[in-house]
Amino acid sequence: MIEIWYSILAFMLVMFIVLEGFDIGAGMLQYIVGKTEAERRQVVSAIGPLWPWHEVWLIGFGGTLLLAFPNILATSFAGFYLALFLLLWALLLRGVSIEVSGHIANPLWRTAWHFIFVASNLLLAILIGAALGNVLRGVPLNSDGKFALTFFTNFSPRGQVGILDWFTVSVATFVLITLAAHGATALAMKTEGPVHHRSRQLARTLWKLVLGLLVIITIESWWVRPELFCGMLHQPFSWLGLTSVIAGITNVFIGLQIKREFRAVIGSAAFIAGLMIAGAAGVFPVMLYSTLAPEDSLTAYQNAAAGAGLAIALIWWPIALVFAVVYFLFICRHYAGKVKPQEDNQNPY
Amino acid sequence: MEDTLFWSRLQFAFTITFHYLFPQLTMGLVWIIVYFKWRHLRTGDERFASATRFWARIFGINFAVGVVTGLPMEFQFGTNWAGFTKFSGNVIGQTLAMESMFAFFLESAMIGAMVWGEKKLGPSKHFLTVLGVALGSWASGYFILVTNAFMQHPVGYSTAADGSLRLESLAAFLLNPWALVMFLHNQCAAVVTGSFVVTAVGALYALQGKHAEQASLFLKTGTLVGLCSCVLVAFPTGDRQAKMVAHHQPVTLAAMEGHFTTGANVGLNFIGQPNIREKRIDNPIYMPGALSMLAFGHMNSSVQGLDDFPEDQWPTNIDLLYYAYHVMAGLGTLFILLMVIANLQRWRGRLETSRGLLWALMLAFPFPYIATTAGWMTAELGRQPWLIFGLFRTSQGVSDVVNGGNVLFTLIGFTGLYFVLGVLFLFLIGREIAHGPQAIYTIGKLEVSHD
Repeated sequence: MIEIWYSILAFMLVMFIVLEGFDIGAGMLQYIVGKTEAERRQVVSAIGPLWPWHEVWLIGFGGTLLLAFPNILATSFAGFYLALFLLLWALLLRGVSIEVSGHIANPLWRTAWHFIFVASNLLLAILIGAALGNVLRGVPLNSDGKFALTFFTNFSPRGQVGILDWFTVSVATFVLITLAAHGATALAMKTEGPVHHRSRQLARTLWKLVLGLLVIITIESWWVRPELFCGMLHQPFSWLGLTSVIAGITNVFIGLQIKREFRAVIGSAAFIAGLMIAGAAGVFPVMLYSTLAPEDSLTAYQNAAAGAGLAIALIWWPIALVFAVVYFLFICRHYAGKVKPQEDNQNPY
Repeated sequence: MEDTLFWSRLQFAFTITFHYLFPQLTMGLVWIIVYFKWRHLRTGDERFASATRFWARIFGINFAVGVVTGLPMEFQFGTNWAGFTKFSGNVIGQTLAMESMFAFFLESAMIGAMVWGEKKLGPSKHFLTVLGVALGSWASGYFILVTNAFMQHPVGYSTAADGSLRLESLAAFLLNPWALVMFLHNQCAAVVTGSFVVTAVGALYALQGKHAEQASLFLKTGTLVGLCSCVLVAFPTGDRQAKMVAHHQPVTLAAMEGHFTTGANVGLNFIGQPNIREKRIDNPIYMPGALSMLAFGHMNSSVQGLDDFPEDQWPTNIDLLYYAYHVMAGLGTLFILLMVIANLQRWRGRLETSRGLLWALMLAFPFPYIATTAGWMTAELGRQPWLIFGLFRTSQGVSDVVNGGNVLFTLIGFTGLYFVLGVLFLFLIGREIAHGPQAIYTIGKLEVSHD
């Protein structure tokens, strides 16, 4: 039961990063791939009317974490207090900028909101990366099972750590570049014209950078959390994840080379999902690792919701998931195909 | 600790109050849009099509602000109220997860297509998206009200050995009688807000002598829906809600009414100032026996006063609770009066020429927002000092690792951000209303130019 809910949570987080990762990645490249106003609007149109649906995976992840592991949610959200509010404010500004930039056809209005859009997307990618880095590295949990993180301490990933140290900053950089590469690949699929060409070129460069950074991150992780790799060895899911990483990255390069962008996007999604699955399986059952004393780490087994709740939820959750996918497909069909450079109109989608 | 509790309460109160200004309109307005769209489908009348488009654009702006201000609410369960989450997460996690899984996925998939996708989807599928958003927003309301109802009147749980709560019966939890009554009361209030806004825009156009066809449609629909919903908010839903409070939270009822001493044949105060020190109401105007009648159905029923309860169980801010409740109830009564007059005039065919009444209808739209906010203040202040009534105190729920300064910092951040958001919102809504419902957009190009 606990393993199932841990997998469901991992699945929801993967969905969020893969889907919203496209929006964030494409968003931060808006000014690099879009040189004219019409091309920048094209980027927003390519993100499409389903971005709120992508973002709901994060809210769903939060709700499901509360349902399945309330202690983990309470401990980690309180511990990451300020960083989470930064994340919230970035999400807020980004949502507003997508929705209102189209309302007035005035170049200053548009530029101001595009700037906020790009900046909040960059901040989001960095914050999500730092958050993943913190979960990988661990947090200074004490024997009461509590912690409170400052933004940084002495930049060392051992002992009394802060949110930012050399390890989490390099994970954040890796996530930033990976989401940019993911976004560029998807933009190449969703657009035509100059934006398509620039995105495709950019994607090819960025993916090479991702490969280089991946090697560095792997060595760093080995040093910071060696047991992560021992865990991976014993977990069949990790092997599945690693296979997906290799197959994914191969298809990204092949797809971009032979101009089958759909194949590249699937590869990119498989690469990101594979890394996350391998990581999630490798750390299981530890959900919050203690950098002060490993025996104080919070595990899935000790912190799962007790009582009948999880069994009951396992009945309604899959039904809700089927509905969610049906809504998505109902809308998605109408927005298939490539997006052209946008004439100046009010309708962003 | 004390600081953290105070600032966390203020931050939650501020963010939820600001947030709920938007869903209360969208939840009410969405059914009026469903009606316009349905009439367009049935009759093919362009009037209804442009009314749908106009209100969908107003809806879209409200919805966007509602979504972005809603995100912090869910986060605060963990960031500021970790103690509460640890204590009751096994129970309330169900509805919070259901809300995102059943309601948010539906709303978020449909909203973009509802506001912008009319041409792409065609009329009948577009109708489906409007209906989807309507159902999603009401489902979301229900799940969140079940969560709140559990805090007001906990049912369907058991207590584990470590003191935290366990879910005992999902059915009992989801069908909490408090939730059912509160949902109906709250949703009717949302329809009041929606109908007052539609009426106000109709009155504005009528007074300006612009968009005559739409003005008359908005006035007709707004006042009719307004009358029905105003009556339903008071009776039976408001009445049932009061009886629910009398039955399950007698101390709250006593504080709401400023009723200090237990006794039979208790009067209902219309006006008067609670004097906590002297334990009485100063300068009251009241109707004898009415509180006994309303709460328990008989003039001679005994109603418990605050003196029946230990002071550490009294709501922590009785004055504010008393005034909030009276503002809500008083405004609710005036709404019925206004809507009865408006409907009488409409029935006599004089509504669009009664300028005084049109002015009143145009300026009335902020008051449902005030009444709804006061109503929620009544519910939430009345619950104090408990976070879960009778089980768990508010002071136990706050995150103990977060210091007060951090919460003050984020509260200041929210204040600034929401101020800017509020100004932006008013600016965009003002533009939409100034353009009016005649602005019809074709694919790719504006028919009616802006500015």
